[in-house]
Amino acid sequence: MSDLAIEARQLVKKFPARAGTGDKQVESSDAFAQPKKRQRWPFGRKEPKALFTAVDGVDLQIQRGEIFGLLGPNGAGKSTTIRMLCTLLEPTSGTARINGFNVVSQANDVRRSLGTVLAGERSIYWKLSGRENLEYFAALYHIPQAVAKKRVDELIERMELKERANELVEKYSTGMRQRVAIAKALLARPPILLLDEPTLGLDPQAARNLRELIAQLKQEGHTILLTTHYMEEADQLSDRIGIIDTGKVIALDTPEGLKRRIDQKEIIRLEVTGWQEYVGDKLRTLSEVSNLVARRQGEADLWEVNLQSNNSRAVLPKLVESISQNGTRLVNMNIVKPSLEDVFIHLTGKALRD
Amino acid sequence: MEPTLSPQSLGRPGLLSDLRAFGAVIRREWIIFTRYPSWIIALIIWPLIFPMLYILTARALSGPDGSGLTVFIQTTGATDYIGYIIVGTTVWMWQNIVLWDVGFALRNEQMRGTLESNWLSPTWKFSYLLGHTGPQIVSMAMFIIITAVEFGLLFGVRIHGSGWMLILVMLAAIPAIYGLGFAFASLVITVKEANAFVFLIRGLVMIFCGITFPVAILPGWMQAFSKWLPQTYLIHAMRAAAFTNAGLQELMPDLIPLLSFGVFWLVAGYSTFLWMERRARQTGAIGQY
Repeated sequence: MSDLAIEARQLVKKFPARAGTGDKQVESSDAFAQPKKRQRWPFGRKEPKALFTAVDGVDLQIQRGEIFGLLGPNGAGKSTTIRMLCTLLEPTSGTARINGFNVVSQANDVRRSLGTVLAGERSIYWKLSGRENLEYFAALYHIPQAVAKKRVDELIERMELKERANELVEKYSTGMRQRVAIAKALLARPPILLLDEPTLGLDPQAARNLRELIAQLKQEGHTILLTTHYMEEADQLSDRIGIIDTGKVIALDTPEGLKRRIDQKEIIRLEVTGWQEYVGDKLRTLSEVSNLVARRQGEADLWEVNLQSNNSRAVLPKLVESISQNGTRLVNMNIVKPSLEDVFIHLTGKALRD
Repeated sequence: MEPTLSPQSLGRPGLLSDLRAFGAVIRREWIIFTRYPSWIIALIIWPLIFPMLYILTARALSGPDGSGLTVFIQTTGATDYIGYIIVGTTVWMWQNIVLWDVGFALRNEQMRGTLESNWLSPTWKFSYLLGHTGPQIVSMAMFIIITAVEFGLLFGVRIHGSGWMLILVMLAAIPAIYGLGFAFASLVITVKEANAFVFLIRGLVMIFCGITFPVAILPGWMQAFSKWLPQTYLIHAMRAAAFTNAGLQELMPDLIPLLSFGVFWLVAGYSTFLWMERRARQTGAIGQY
């Protein structure tokens, strides 16, 4: 048996580009044609379709027992990668193996090796109880009846659903529904778990509990591929992290290794009111400043401005001077340790949540 | 704590496991069906409403003493015009309900968000569609029984022929009616919206299959077209079995084409499903709603 639980080589997925949606990375399926509006050719033959590349040559080698985080902004290609690995999507090119099985030619063996939680809470039946859902999916995963009954009880207990296991899922909270979805993924005790944005939409306590559970599952020997756009989550849970943007893995290392890449840089975090875009443009012209990203904080006129600098001592007076004019006010300023988000900004020039 | 060995899957693949999964789909569908209590009201009211439209029209046209029915009886050979209409409208309702119910089974799952989680399991995918059929056949059988009881009580309609022959004819129609539903369900997943297609099919059945009139009164080209619709044979055979005491011999000219259409639509339904499944893996259609 291969040491690799998940292996992807040059995985590519292209979809027909949707007209008028501003799909990026659009190309034509005809290498010689320019991307443009489709036209009808003589005799009704259509021009080749323009294609949108959602995943562009992703390579992954994930060891058994590892938690691997795939970190990237919305639309980066995380979910498409997961969908190819769990057999819902066929790659346009490249190969992927799960537990040694090819995702295209041995799809059922792949499905037997996997427990998958896709983003969103609607993967279970709201008109069934938590227990009925688990019994149903146990049958779909070919678990013998006697084993299934025991396993369902075990998971209900573990997910702290015992009191309400016989109530309809429609009466559950979001966190409880997510626990049922995770129990469903664990039913067949699969060696590999794919968790797509598992804490999305959960309250902080539920998200914390789920992160603890993920850490426990690793201890029990599960290999976990986790996609998230929460950098703290990826940092806390992952043995290694792949940063994905516009369909490509642009960096892959341990969380510490990734942060070491910008060790020589200092991260300056400012809180500013009355922020104007031209102030940002002005700061970007300073030679000591790189990767400036400004983000509004909630509804109030408070902005968080992150920038990276090689020499904070030299740049601080210039920052204060440039910001404190024309109604823009500096409220707070810190020099902080680099986070994964700063790594992402360093690599792409944009914030994860842009 | 050091990680333990990689866990081993509890799943045991095999034919029995696939059959158990199929049973689980049927059970799930039945439980969900019974959790929407409005189905009881629908089951009592709908068998009455649709045929009543035609029965009351017929009553009005036949005149106060019913003399206008003479021509109808001469043309159709049916003495019970209400029974004649009920058979036609029941077949129309059957096909209509199958198109909405089985035809939209996968689409409803897709919109609910549960289709992908079903698709992720190693079960034979066609089970999900086939499983919808079990509870649908049971509810449709209840619909037909309630129709017979309601019109028996309200209008004195009686089956003069063999009930067993009537059941045999309906069983013979299942492959054609549901095969069309399977093909339809697979197309709906791809095109997302198919109301216009349902209206087209039921319109064709309404006009060409003679749900309230004999096909013989249609112009030649319409009669020729009606021979390509299995519902034409079903309606004819059901009327013969219910009201003229026709035996197997007399029913054969309808049963053979009905079963042939059944084979065709089952093959077409399954092939369309396989095509849809393959296409969905290429386009990601399963998760799009």
